[in-house]
Amino acid sequence: MTAQSVRIRGEATFAILLVVFAALAFWQSHAISGFSGLSEPGVFPMLASATMLVSSLFVLRGVLRKDLPAPASGSTLRDFLAEALPARLVMMVALVLAYVIALPLFGFVAASALFLFSAFWVMWRRGPLVALVLSAASLGGIYLIFRTLFQVVLPRGTLFPGLF
Amino acid sequence: MMESLGYLTLSWFDPWLLLITGAGTLAGIYVGAIPGLSVTMAASILISFTFKWPVNEALALIAGVFVGGVYGGARTAILFNIPGAPSAIATALDGYPLAKRGEAGEAIGLTTVMSVLGGIIGILALAFFAPVISDFAIRFQSRDYLLLGMIGILLIGALSGDSFAKGVFAGGLGVLIGMVGLDPMTAEGRFTFGSITLMGGIPYIVAMIGFFGVAEALSQVHNLDLPALKQRVDRIIPRLSDIKRYFWLALRASGIGTVIGALPGTGGDIAALLAYDDAKRTTRNPDPPFGQGNKAGLVAPEAANNAAVGGAFVPMLTLGIPGDAVTAVIIGALFIHGLKPGPLLLTETPHLFWFTVGNLGLANLFLLIFGLTGIRVFTKIVECPRAILIPLIIVLSAVGAYAIQNNPAHIYWMLGFGVFGYVLKHYGFPVAPIILGVILGPMMDANYRRAMIGARNDVGTFLWDFVSNPISLVLSVAFVFLLLSQTPLWRRLVRRQRAT
Repeated sequence: MTAQSVRIRGEATFAILLVVFAALAFWQSHAISGFSGLSEPGVFPMLASATMLVSSLFVLRGVLRKDLPAPASGSTLRDFLAEALPARLVMMVALVLAYVIALPLFGFVAASALFLFSAFWVMWRRGPLVALVLSAASLGGIYLIFRTLFQVVLPRGTLFPGLF
Repeated sequence: MMESLGYLTLSWFDPWLLLITGAGTLAGIYVGAIPGLSVTMAASILISFTFKWPVNEALALIAGVFVGGVYGGARTAILFNIPGAPSAIATALDGYPLAKRGEAGEAIGLTTVMSVLGGIIGILALAFFAPVISDFAIRFQSRDYLLLGMIGILLIGALSGDSFAKGVFAGGLGVLIGMVGLDPMTAEGRFTFGSITLMGGIPYIVAMIGFFGVAEALSQVHNLDLPALKQRVDRIIPRLSDIKRYFWLALRASGIGTVIGALPGTGGDIAALLAYDDAKRTTRNPDPPFGQGNKAGLVAPEAANNAAVGGAFVPMLTLGIPGDAVTAVIIGALFIHGLKPGPLLLTETPHLFWFTVGNLGLANLFLLIFGLTGIRVFTKIVECPRAILIPLIIVLSAVGAYAIQNNPAHIYWMLGFGVFGYVLKHYGFPVAPIILGVILGPMMDANYRRAMIGARNDVGTFLWDFVSNPISLVLSVAFVFLLLSQTPLWRRLVRRQRAT
């Protein structure tokens, strides 16, 4: 297998972000106990973050050596977002984000029902009725198996306590 | 001893345990077969559900899921050229060309029989060699555990794919995630930023669900419009002549699988790739050539990855070190159930060891039954549109992440790791080293510091200890050898030697 010789759009931006992330991680690791001793709690985090920093620099060097991709929007950050997070994925991530925020508020049943219905409707595009039936059936199955059969504790809502 | 041995057949005659093991195996086959639902993810989700169960029931389910899941990945690899699990990557190389010739049913049948054979070899190794390793392991010092961790972390080289630097970065990231929380030795906060939630650390199961399950689900959003592939499935039971022909190859591959599985940090995926490589090197005049539907290329990885299951349990039960990512999850479950996998397990709770051995054997029996049946139904489930599968994976992942400590923050972490893991994967970073780092990092940290304190913070004494003790010396030599074998210089030397 040969390595790609042309950059994926946004690859350089991502590599730079990783270098910055690794540098911040090293700074935070150093803040734990500094270089005060060989058996201090900060030694391993510093070792790990230093490894990350060096390897991210190697990754960045490798990316910079690749040929530039075909010009797109002209903005590196916009290229990165367009490549790594296309519209449909952003919509999915937004749905999931709304779901995880809603979970502790509305409880598992209501939040999951809303999430499954919207996700099936938006992604499968078979109409609201199909999405409704499918989400009700799958949520019923999940609830039956995990809550009723396996006795798993599911998130309960704080907005409507006792309801879900 | 006899009382403990009685646990060997406990699950074979207890109807409830029999049912749970069977259900786990069946679930494992189907979960393992669905791309994006890894065995690790299935095990981590299921384990969180078994926290309130008695330990035998929990272990029965997990063993079934593990055995079934490692095998299940082969089905989609053969039918659709999409390995359902990392351990089935090598299987796809020759399995899919066989399916393209209309021999999918026979390929699945042969895979099932050879997987069971491999699984049994692995279990026998576990039964006969684990006690020996356990006796030996009691003598292990902190520095020896550190060395074991270092050997395990070397797997990053094999998991890195095209870029070693990316693998190393991922491994370092995993170690950092594993460090979050109060230091277990000094109670000093590490990366807690004053947050009480972070002081408790990030459970590695949350990281696993995020990096494996959610990241893979998000990756699959790109493939929403791809049509479901149809496949003809006819003959299932393999020919006796094929079983005879590939028997010895399967035995050898099982040996490779057992040994690789027993090495800390290695699992079925590496075992399968090495066994495939071995089959390729040792088969003379292959017809058809490897990569074009040679059955040897199907038998070797499948026997090896299932043998690796038994192998992976050896370091887990005797040293408390994960053989692979799934056994790492199982270790977590054992701790939650109040057990301590490690050198004392065999002396303090020997019944648990024999129960596991017997249960893995039972799971393999179920694998033979379920593996040779339900192929037609299976293809229908796999053909389920991704638009339905992805939201369901997200809901199951949220349930799994929450169930660990009933903490909503873990669901946020899961999503964060999932999105980050998705972007990392998109730019060619392997996520497996992250999990390796999360698992091995804290172990290496604690043992390094104990060893350093034992050497009174003197670097000279610390290093001398690595060569002055027989166990440490052997492990140090093994580490250096494995490290050197990953360097380009070594590969060049081997290539030159082969050429001459």
